[in-house]
Amino acid sequence: MRQQRETPHTYWRMVWKHFRQKHLAVAGLAVTLFFFAVAIFAPLLANDRPILVRHSGQWYWPIFSGLERVGPYHWKELKRDNLPRIYQGDLGAPGDFAVWPLVPYSATEYDLLASLEPPTVQHWFGTDDRGRDVLSRMIYGARISLSVGFVAVGIAVSIGILLGALAGYFGGWADQLVSRLIEILLTIPTFFMIIAIIAFLPPSIYNIMVVIGLTGWTGVARFVRAEFFKLKQLDFVLASRALGASSARLIFVHMLPNAMAPVLVSAVFGIAGAILTESSLSFLGFGVPPPTPSWGDILSQSRDYIEFAWWLTIFPGVAIFTSITAYNLVGEGLRDAMDPKLFR
Amino acid sequence: MHDSLRPQRILPLAATALLILLLSSCSDSRNATAFNKDWLITHLSAEPATLNPITSTDAYASNINDYIYESLLKRDEKTMELVPVLADSWDISADHLTYTFHLKKDIRWQDGHPFTANDILFSFERIRDPKVDSAHLRNYYQDIDRLEVIDDHTVRYHYRIPYFRALEFCGGIPIVAAHLFSETEDFNQSPIGRSPLGTGPFRFLKWDTGKEIVLVRNEQYWGEKPKLERVVFKVITDSTVALQVLKKGGLDLMSLRPIQWVKQTGSERFHKNFRKIKYYLPTYSYVGWNLRRPMFSDRRVRQAMTMLVNRESILKELLFGLGTIVTGNFYINSPAYNRYIQPYPYDPEGAVALLKAAGWEDHDGDGVLDKDGAPFSFEFLISAGSKFAEQLATIMQENLKQVGIQMGIRKLEWAVFIQNIQQHQFDACTLAWSLSWESDPFQLWHSSQAEKGSNFVGFKNAEADAIIETARKEFDAAKRNVLFHRFHEIIHEEQPYTFLFTTEALVAVARRFQNVQVYPMGLAPREWWATEQQSE
Amino acid sequence: MANYIIKRLLQVIPTLLGITLITFLIIQLAPGNPATLKLQMAGQGEMGESAIAQQIIQQTKELYGLDKPLIVQYLLWVKRVFTLDFGNSFKDHRPVLAKIAERLPITIQLNVISIVLVYLIAIPFGVYSATHADTFSDRALTLFFFFLYSLPSFWVAVLLIMFFGGGDFLDVFPVYGISSIGADSWPFFRWLTDRLWHLILPVTCLTYGGLAYLSRLTRAEMLEVIREDYIRTARAKGLSERVVIFKHALRNALLPIITLLAFLLPAMFGGSVIIESIFSIPGMGQLGFESVLSRDYPVIMAITTISALLTLVGLLISDILYATLDPRIKLE
Repeated sequence: MRQQRETPHTYWRMVWKHFRQKHLAVAGLAVTLFFFAVAIFAPLLANDRPILVRHSGQWYWPIFSGLERVGPYHWKELKRDNLPRIYQGDLGAPGDFAVWPLVPYSATEYDLLASLEPPTVQHWFGTDDRGRDVLSRMIYGARISLSVGFVAVGIAVSIGILLGALAGYFGGWADQLVSRLIEILLTIPTFFMIIAIIAFLPPSIYNIMVVIGLTGWTGVARFVRAEFFKLKQLDFVLASRALGASSARLIFVHMLPNAMAPVLVSAVFGIAGAILTESSLSFLGFGVPPPTPSWGDILSQSRDYIEFAWWLTIFPGVAIFTSITAYNLVGEGLRDAMDPKLFR
Repeated sequence: MHDSLRPQRILPLAATALLILLLSSCSDSRNATAFNKDWLITHLSAEPATLNPITSTDAYASNINDYIYESLLKRDEKTMELVPVLADSWDISADHLTYTFHLKKDIRWQDGHPFTANDILFSFERIRDPKVDSAHLRNYYQDIDRLEVIDDHTVRYHYRIPYFRALEFCGGIPIVAAHLFSETEDFNQSPIGRSPLGTGPFRFLKWDTGKEIVLVRNEQYWGEKPKLERVVFKVITDSTVALQVLKKGGLDLMSLRPIQWVKQTGSERFHKNFRKIKYYLPTYSYVGWNLRRPMFSDRRVRQAMTMLVNRESILKELLFGLGTIVTGNFYINSPAYNRYIQPYPYDPEGAVALLKAAGWEDHDGDGVLDKDGAPFSFEFLISAGSKFAEQLATIMQENLKQVGIQMGIRKLEWAVFIQNIQQHQFDACTLAWSLSWESDPFQLWHSSQAEKGSNFVGFKNAEADAIIETARKEFDAAKRNVLFHRFHEIIHEEQPYTFLFTTEALVAVARRFQNVQVYPMGLAPREWWATEQQSE
Repeated sequence: MANYIIKRLLQVIPTLLGITLITFLIIQLAPGNPATLKLQMAGQGEMGESAIAQQIIQQTKELYGLDKPLIVQYLLWVKRVFTLDFGNSFKDHRPVLAKIAERLPITIQLNVISIVLVYLIAIPFGVYSATHADTFSDRALTLFFFFLYSLPSFWVAVLLIMFFGGGDFLDVFPVYGISSIGADSWPFFRWLTDRLWHLILPVTCLTYGGLAYLSRLTRAEMLEVIREDYIRTARAKGLSERVVIFKHALRNALLPIITLLAFLLPAMFGGSVIIESIFSIPGMGQLGFESVLSRDYPVIMAITTISALLTLVGLLISDILYATLDPRIKLE
């Protein structure tokens, strides 16, 4: 049993060792982490108010407190003559200063007088049809696009593992049922089904995640099922069972870790697919509801302006395909690194 | 050693194949059809469901059927008076309950069969037949007791109640050729849905699903024959693509979006080949407030909401000034519209004062207005297809946030949107109405329509009800308009809607067409003729 | 073998019933109903002025057969389908099968061409990658294919139209439809080139995204096979590398790749709504999308049922093929 426990540890170390040697995969990982950082720190990177304000010897954190003003300083007025500057020192009273985010715009504030402006010093990525800052929307869009990917795939993987494990472990009726269910999902054109369900459900970012997840688990289930069929016959499983381990324990403690490699790889590819699906849904008008920004949404909004507003189409397009390529490279790297045959 | 595996071996082959293809078809693909100046190629952004004039519901079908079918009378394009078409004349009884039409005698259907009173009776019966998918029309003919065929060329409608639009309804009835149908056949599935046959100036030639619908001139037309030989409706589902096709010369007529009007059709070359025309049509957009909700049951709140929408700036910047702010429910260019009413200004401070007077204030200091402990927070419904609705919603959301009102946006697909509205499951929504020239406010504003009719905001006002009821029986247009002007005032005061805009219809027409007139209800391509094309 | 096929065919029935029942319930229980929708349609985001009396809506529901209890409606539907009658569309009252028959050939043309292209391009590159595993060119190919996969197809379609469709740049390809007006009366060769000419842009958009998956799969399968003993034996026998790779390795590696085709059937039948709507191609994708939006239940049901049936049969065929071609696998 001890031996069993330690194997995964060294196994993952091996995987990492192999993974590290793949430059493309490492580059993909770096890009992925970069987008992650952007998503996590979005409010500090783009906001319509300062991060930090010093006023009569006091410190204020407007982003976190939600204050509209401090003393004589109203953010809107401060911003008017500030653009774009991180440190704003020359405030009314001596010693007062403000520290601004890199992009001093929120994702939703609009300015009709500044609509469809090409990139300028104020708006690095230009503005959209309502004069909203494209860079700010993309920074917040990173949150949506990434969370759609992760949550959708999380759902898909959980369902897939559970059903696949049940089918593979118990066989017989359970297997029949799960196999029929997989078949049913395989037979309906996926995108058609997603549209149908999305059209019928009230639109929200969560429904999109759930639907992409619910339609995407069959691959994982098939992997796990096949893997379990093989594992069931192996000595260590038979031994554990002989020792009286419960089914649940067998499945989740002993067998599952051994079947995780292909699941992980397909999950990483799945994230890429989910981001792509989200952008296609946006194009059809079934994307995230306004005013939430997502990359797919910005990109599809650009449809009407494509002939002259290149910034609306290039920036989100590049963001989508770099992040998807990055995920795929990570997935590819993981697959190779996890291939036990290469360990020999 | 892997020589044979190199993809280079396959690529040249594919490239050669492509090249051959390119050389062979380049020549013919450009001018695929012999250019004919007397053909009008029109853009259709979607296909009609059916061309059966009795079962069709969409605007695409009625646009096409206008070339093929005719009715007893029509509105004259210039004067907007009702003038005879298939009828010679009509008599109206003194009590305004019977309408007798005398038909023209020598009219023939496009297959040579004579047109008679029987065709009208047949069409009328189909509209009223519950087995026929014509519920949208049936509604208009509810108040008709019966239709009597006096002889082959005389019909008489008997109304139950006097109604000022009765003549228009009786005379405007869609008429199909009775001899084309058999007793046993299901009318809904009749072949005329795919190959219509009328009495009009154009006859149907063909319909390639998803590609085009072609009409040709009816050489046997009883009236003045059109100069155009063909009208082709090309289906191009994407409007950006359609504009590109227009610029390449593949279309002669298409409607433009505001952004296309302003930014994509300004070049010298475009101007040389196309004429840009804009005109008003009877539609208006609005934000409807659900008066059943406590917060919107107060007139002051509704007025305040209107004052929080910067309509001028939205019209100027978002719609590029291509429209007018409206203040009421009638078509701005019709005599019923009260031109003396000024729109509420954009006035956030005034709005805050009104809200305060209505009891909405930020009592608990959380930045959101509240009244009796309940925050001012509501949901705004928009339909997924409308880009303008989305723009409007995001702008309103930001504006309302400034004064402490929380507005959520809920984007619903059209079918769900309609259902929510009909079941009154909404706080506020934005929509547009398309009107007819003479509008009857009954359906939208009478209190009797608030439960199950189109008065979905639940507007109830005793004076308004009385005006509507009187106006429906008033046959003197001038007197009716006086009533309607007062009605307009009430609507303005009550603000059950925040009235937005009537936007202009924008079209591009190829320069070779002459006699392109703009009438109160739009263009009339059947009067056009073409000169030799002067460009390139 | 015969037993196995019969058993599998019998399994198709419950699956099919399951699919149709689920679809039926989803669309019927979803908000929005075709009767009210039809009465209120006047254009995009615009409503006609007419009032909708409840009684009239009721009449329309009866006309569409929507007034009966759900289970009765479902059973009636099943009964009709057994006689191959999928009913009439609510939208225009034409037989659903006629509507599908009108659009299916177009969708199939598009998809067959693009799938064949995917296979023709991806497999050689996959083999190349496998034989050059971990070299620079393998990595470059990987990166390139992933790069293609990552481009949203609507974006590419729009850009292609802008650059090649006679905007302000090149005017090389037609940008809508699948043939020129009047092409039906042309001689065959001219008709064919015209058709192919129209298909180039949409097929490109449908093809490039699939290359990554298939070439990666081919590469993986090839690498797997190459390590097998029989390949070593073949090499040891002194067979030329070419013979080893093509005759022995590729043939075996192709098996799972070919069987993959069965899974592509629903997609082939369903079409692609995005590409079809950008290029104004009247295919199955558009039909399905419109039928969902207009709650055209008979059309939705027919599309799901037929696509399900095709796939189930496809799966069966692929299993049988697998078993016939690969002696290691036996059908239970």
